[in-house]
Amino acid sequence: MEICDFTLHRPTTAAEAVALAFELGAGARFLAGGTDLLVDLKQRRLAATHLIALDGIGELKGITRNGDTLEVGALSTMSDLGDSDAVREHAPGLAQSAMSMGMVQIRNRATIGGNFSAAVPCADTPPICIAAGASVRILGKGGVRTVAAETFFVGPRQTTMQPGELLTAILWPVLRAKSGASYQRFARRRYASLAVAGVAAQLSLDGARIGKARMALASVAPTPLFVPAVSKILDGEKPGAALFAKAARAAADAARPITDMRGSAAYRRDLVETLAMRALEQALANAGQRP
Amino acid sequence: MANEVLIQLTVNGTPRTLAVKPNTTLLTVLRDHLGLTGTKKGCELGECGACTVLLNGKTANSCITLAAAVSGAEVVTIEGLAKDGELHPLQKSFVKHGALQCGYCTPGMIMSAKALIDKTPAPTAAEIRDALGGNLCRCGSYPRVIKAVGGWKEYVGERLDTKPRVDDERDQARDHAVVSHGVTRYDAPDKVTGRALYTGDLRLPDMIYGKILTSTVAHGRIKRLDTSRAKALPGVLAVLTGADVPDTRYGVSPARYDEHILAKERVRYVGDEVAAVAAIDEETAARALRLIEVEYEALPAVFDPEAAMKAGAPLLHPEEARYANNINTRVEWNFGDVDQGFAEADLVREQRFVGNRTHQAPIEPHASLARYEHHGEKLTLWSSTQVPHYLQHMLARTLGMPQGNIRVIRPAVGGGFGVKAETTPLDFCAVLFSKATCRPVMMSYDRKEMFYHFRGRHKQVMDLKIGLKKDGSITAVRFKSVLDGGAYTSYGVVTAYYAGSMLPTLYKLQNYKYDGFRVYTNLPACGAFRGHGVPHPRFAFESLLDMMAAELGLDPFEIRLKNAMRPGTRTVNALDISSCEFVQTLERARQESGWKEKRGKLKRGKGIGVGCGGFVSGAGYPIYRSDFPHSNAIVRVQEDGRAISLAIAAADIGQGSDTVLPQIAAEELGVPYPWVTMVECDSALAPIDLGSYSSRVTLMAGNAVKMAAGKALDQVLAAAARRLGCSARDLVARDGQIFVKAAPTLRIAWDEAARLAFAQNGPVVGTGWYRPPAELGGAFKGGTVGTSPAYSFSTAVAEVTVDLYTGQVQVDRVNDFSDAGTVINPVTFHAQVEGSVIMGIGETMMEDTQHAKDGAILNPNLHDYLVPSIGETPEIHTHAVESYEARGPFGAKEIGEGSLLPMLGAIANAIYDATGVRVTELPITPEKIRRGLLEAAKRPLCDQSPPDASPEPGCPS
Repeated sequence: MEICDFTLHRPTTAAEAVALAFELGAGARFLAGGTDLLVDLKQRRLAATHLIALDGIGELKGITRNGDTLEVGALSTMSDLGDSDAVREHAPGLAQSAMSMGMVQIRNRATIGGNFSAAVPCADTPPICIAAGASVRILGKGGVRTVAAETFFVGPRQTTMQPGELLTAILWPVLRAKSGASYQRFARRRYASLAVAGVAAQLSLDGARIGKARMALASVAPTPLFVPAVSKILDGEKPGAALFAKAARAAADAARPITDMRGSAAYRRDLVETLAMRALEQALANAGQRP
Repeated sequence: MANEVLIQLTVNGTPRTLAVKPNTTLLTVLRDHLGLTGTKKGCELGECGACTVLLNGKTANSCITLAAAVSGAEVVTIEGLAKDGELHPLQKSFVKHGALQCGYCTPGMIMSAKALIDKTPAPTAAEIRDALGGNLCRCGSYPRVIKAVGGWKEYVGERLDTKPRVDDERDQARDHAVVSHGVTRYDAPDKVTGRALYTGDLRLPDMIYGKILTSTVAHGRIKRLDTSRAKALPGVLAVLTGADVPDTRYGVSPARYDEHILAKERVRYVGDEVAAVAAIDEETAARALRLIEVEYEALPAVFDPEAAMKAGAPLLHPEEARYANNINTRVEWNFGDVDQGFAEADLVREQRFVGNRTHQAPIEPHASLARYEHHGEKLTLWSSTQVPHYLQHMLARTLGMPQGNIRVIRPAVGGGFGVKAETTPLDFCAVLFSKATCRPVMMSYDRKEMFYHFRGRHKQVMDLKIGLKKDGSITAVRFKSVLDGGAYTSYGVVTAYYAGSMLPTLYKLQNYKYDGFRVYTNLPACGAFRGHGVPHPRFAFESLLDMMAAELGLDPFEIRLKNAMRPGTRTVNALDISSCEFVQTLERARQESGWKEKRGKLKRGKGIGVGCGGFVSGAGYPIYRSDFPHSNAIVRVQEDGRAISLAIAAADIGQGSDTVLPQIAAEELGVPYPWVTMVECDSALAPIDLGSYSSRVTLMAGNAVKMAAGKALDQVLAAAARRLGCSARDLVARDGQIFVKAAPTLRIAWDEAARLAFAQNGPVVGTGWYRPPAELGGAFKGGTVGTSPAYSFSTAVAEVTVDLYTGQVQVDRVNDFSDAGTVINPVTFHAQVEGSVIMGIGETMMEDTQHAKDGAILNPNLHDYLVPSIGETPEIHTHAVESYEARGPFGAKEIGEGSLLPMLGAIANAIYDATGVRVTELPITPEKIRRGLLEAAKRPLCDQSPPDASPEPGCPS
C-alpha cells in the first residue's frame, strides 16, 4: 500500500520539533510509534508533506517520580508502561489499561503521547488518566502549558492542542494509600481488537467510607468521557453494591454512544453499566489492599 | 530517485546502509530491497502480525514501521534465527509439533515466540497466548503453536528428523509402515525458516506491477472512462479497461458464465473491477489508478436477496431473460411425500434461520505473476490458487489460447478455504499486461481488495420445517433457502444445490422437499467456502432438532442416534453412502465428553451442546464436463534407486496434501517417507489434477498416487524377482527392503532392485489416475451435486461459559469425533479438525461482513472483521473413530471440510443450554445473547434495573 511522499525530519529536542512544526505548518505531523499515523496515511485518511519523527528526542522518554507526581514521557510505549516498576507501583491503573491493548507488536510501538494526541474515542489510556486526575503537559510556541486530562479532548480526533503543539508528558498524581483503580474493557475478540466500551474508575477510602471517586468512559462518546455524576454519588459514602449500582447507572446515563458495526448504542450503554460496576468493585478491592 | 535518504540498519547481524525513500516501510525494505521475503505481507495495516520482526529486540509490525524513522536499529527476521545451518530449537519445535499449516503466518508467529522466550524461557500457556495475540492464523494452528512454544527447549541440540512425535504417532492399529504415522509435514522446514516461496515472494528480472481500479457505486452504467492522465504518469506502462479485454464471459459453472475480466458497460457492486494499470512499481500503479476518471450513471441497487426476488426490483443482469427476478439458480427437489410425512408427525415445527456473509480471509492475499513468452505465444503463470487446472482451462478458454501453451505453477499457498478456487481478474490482467509490455507482471490484492473481491460464504435466509414422531424419528423435512449470491455466479449454482443436497446424508430422511433460490444482489459475489453451502443449513437443522427434542423431552443424542445414517444406504436424493461410522462418533462423543454428567447439571452461564455434520470426499463430477480422470500422478524412481519423484498437480494450500501424498507413495512403494520428493506443482511437469476443493485430495489424488506407485513398484519387484529367482508375487516391499514373504531372509535392498530395473528396462516410471465411480447420483435435475465416492461424519460437543451481563461467550472445551476413514497422517488430521473448531468459533460468533446503505463494506479489514485470535482457542480434543472406506487409498476419506460443519450447531446449542437464549441469526454475538437474556427477564436492553448485588452463582462478575 502506498504512502504519500513526505520529508522526514529527526529533531533531537522537543523545542526543535515544535519550532519545525510551526514553521512547516499544516502539512506537518509528529511521528511517534506510528501505529495510528501510518495506518491513517496508508488509508489516505490523512495526508502529510512533512513528518517530524520524535524518536530521537531523549527528553520525551522515561518515567520519573517527581514528588507526588509521576512524569510519564510522551514517548513511553504501552509496553514501557506495563513493564515499569514505577508505573506498576504508583499508577497501577495506567499499567493495566496500557496492557489491555491486546497485541504485543502494537504495545511495543504505540506511545501514550500518540494515544492521547490521536484522540480516537476508543483509546484505552485516556479514561484511566482522567479517573486518576492526571494532566497533560503541552509544549507550544509560547512555552509549556498543562491541562487536565478531562479537558484535553474536544471531539473525535480533536484536542485542545493547536497545530504545532506537542504533548510532552502525562503528569500522574501518585496513587495514595487506601486508593485503587481499575480499567474494565469489553471487546469482541480476546486479542487485537478495539474496545466496544471501556470504564475506568479510581477511588480512595477514608476509613469505612469512600473519600474521592472518579470515573471516565471509553468508546461510548465522541471523546473519552469524564462522568462527574459518579463522584457526586460516591464521594463520602459507604461503599456497597446498591451504591455502586446507582453510580453505574449514572455512568450509563452519561454515556453518549453511537450505533456502529461493533455494537448498538443501547448495548454499549448496557455494557457501561456492567463495566462500571465491575470497575468500582475492583477499584475498591484494590484500594483495600493498598496499605 | 528524488528524496531518498541513507539509513543504517543491522539486519540479522549484518550492518547495512540503504538508500530509501522516507515513505518506505521496514517491510518493503526487508522484502524488496534485501530480498528477505520470509517476512510476510498480510494486511499492511498492523492487524495480522504476519510481518512481525524483532526491532531492537522487541516485536514490531514492519508494515507500519517507517524504515527511515528507525535508522540505526537492529532488526532480526525469520531468516536470522537458523545458525550455522541448524534451525533454532523453536523452529524445530514448530516442525515436530506440526504447529503450522499454510505457513504464511508462521514466520511472524515464530518471531513473536522468539521475543517471548528471550525474556521468559519457560513460558506458561497464558504467557504464550498473550505474546502471540497479535499473530492471526486462519488455519487455526493455535493449539499446536501453544504446545510448540511451550516445549521449545526439548529441541535444543536435537537433530531434526521426520519421525513422529510420540504422542501423535498412531491413531489406528493397522500395520502400515508410513501411512497412519504422524511424520512431520513435508513443507514444515521451509515454512519455519521463511524459505518457502509464496507467489508474492517471487521476483523476476524486469518485473513490473499491476493494480485494479474498482467501482465506487453499487450499480451503474459507465458513462465516461478517461485513462489519459493515468497513461501520462511517468512509470505507467499499460492501462486496460473493459474495451481492451475479450468479450468472452468467464466464471466457474459453464452454465452461468457471467463475468468480464473488467466491466464492459455496467458495474454491479461497489468493488466491481473497472480498469487496471501496470507500472514500474506498485506505488506508481496505485497513483495512476487515482488519475483514471470514471463517471457512472447510477442505477437503483438492491442489497437484500428477498427484496431482489420481488417483481419490480432492479435487475442486475437484464440482458439475460433466464435471470428473471434476479434468480440466478432455482432448485426444486421433492422426494417422497412431504405432506404425508408431516401428517404422520406428532410434532411439527417451522423456524426461520439466517446465516452470515463470512469471508475466508486467508492471511496470504491473492497474487499472480505472469510471464508471456512471445516466442511461440506461451505463457507461464504463477498463482496463489487452489485449482491450477481450472485456472489453466479458464485462461485458455477466455483468452483463446491453446491450453497446452499455458503453464501454471502453484508456489506455496497461504490458505484458501475456497476463495482461491477460481480464476481472478488478477490472473487475467497479469497475463494481458505481460503480453502488452513484454515484461513479467506481478499483481496482488491488498486486504481490502480481497474483501471486495469476496467470493465468501453465501448468506442464506432459511425456512426449515421438521416433522417428528414422539420417539424422535424424522417423518418429513421441508427446507427453503434464499441464498444471497451477490453480483455474479461464481460457484453459486453448486452452492444452491449443496445447500439442499447434504441434509439427507446425516440423518435418514424419507420425505424431503427443498426449494433453493440463489439470488443476485448488488453486493460482492459469493463463492465456495469450506463446507460449501452446507454450514448454514446444518446450523439451522442442528438447532431446530435440539429445540424439538426439548419439546419431546428427548436427549439431543437420543434424537440424533434415532435418525443417524448407516453404512450402505442410498439417500432419498440418490447419494450412495458407503462407509459410515456416524453412530460411533455419536456414541463416543456422548461417552467421552462427559455428557451425562454435565448436560442439565451445569450452573447458569455454563452450557454444553452437540452438533453434527459431514461432507463429500470429493465431488463426483468435475466443474466442466470432461471424460478425463480427476486426478493423475507420475511416480518416477530416480536412477540411484533411493529417491522417488512424485509429480501431481494437487494443491497443498495448507491442509497437508504435500505430506499425505508422499506418505501414500512411500507406503505403496515400500520405501521410507524421506525418500519421496514432491515435484513442483507445475502443469508442465504433472498431468491434470482438479485441485483442492470439495475435500477431494486425499481420496482422489491419493488413489492416483497409490496406483502410480504400484505400477512403479511392479517394475522394481520384477527386477528383484529375477535376481532372487522367485516370482514377483511372492515379494513384499517395506522400509526400503524387498523380501520373500515366506522366507524374509531372502531379500534385496530396494534401491539395488530399482537400479537393476533401470539397467534392464530404462526409466522406472509409474502413472496412475483416479476417476469416481461412473453414474453416481440420480437422474433428476441437479442430481450430480453432492455425489461423491465417500462421505465423512462428525460429532462435536462444545462447552461454553457465557458472561450473563455482557453476553460474551467463551468456548471452554470441544470434543470432536470424526469418521474420516483411515487417517493417513494423524498430525495433519488433528490440525485440520482443530482448525475447523477455531474457524467454527469465528463463523458462529464473530464473523460477518457488514455493508453500508450504499453497498460499501464497513469492515474490510482484520480489526473489524473478526477472525479468531489465539485467545479464542479452547481446549480441543479431536478423535478419529475406527473406520475404513473401501473406495479410499488405504481406507481414507476426507476431513478438512466436514469437521467444520458440526461446530455451528454445537456452539449454538451450548449457548442455549447456558442461557436459555436461542439465537437463530448468525453470528451469535454477545449483543444478541444479552438482548435475549434481558427479553427473557422482560427488561429492555437500555432500561434495565441495576445489576444484581449478589450475582447468580456461575456468573463471572
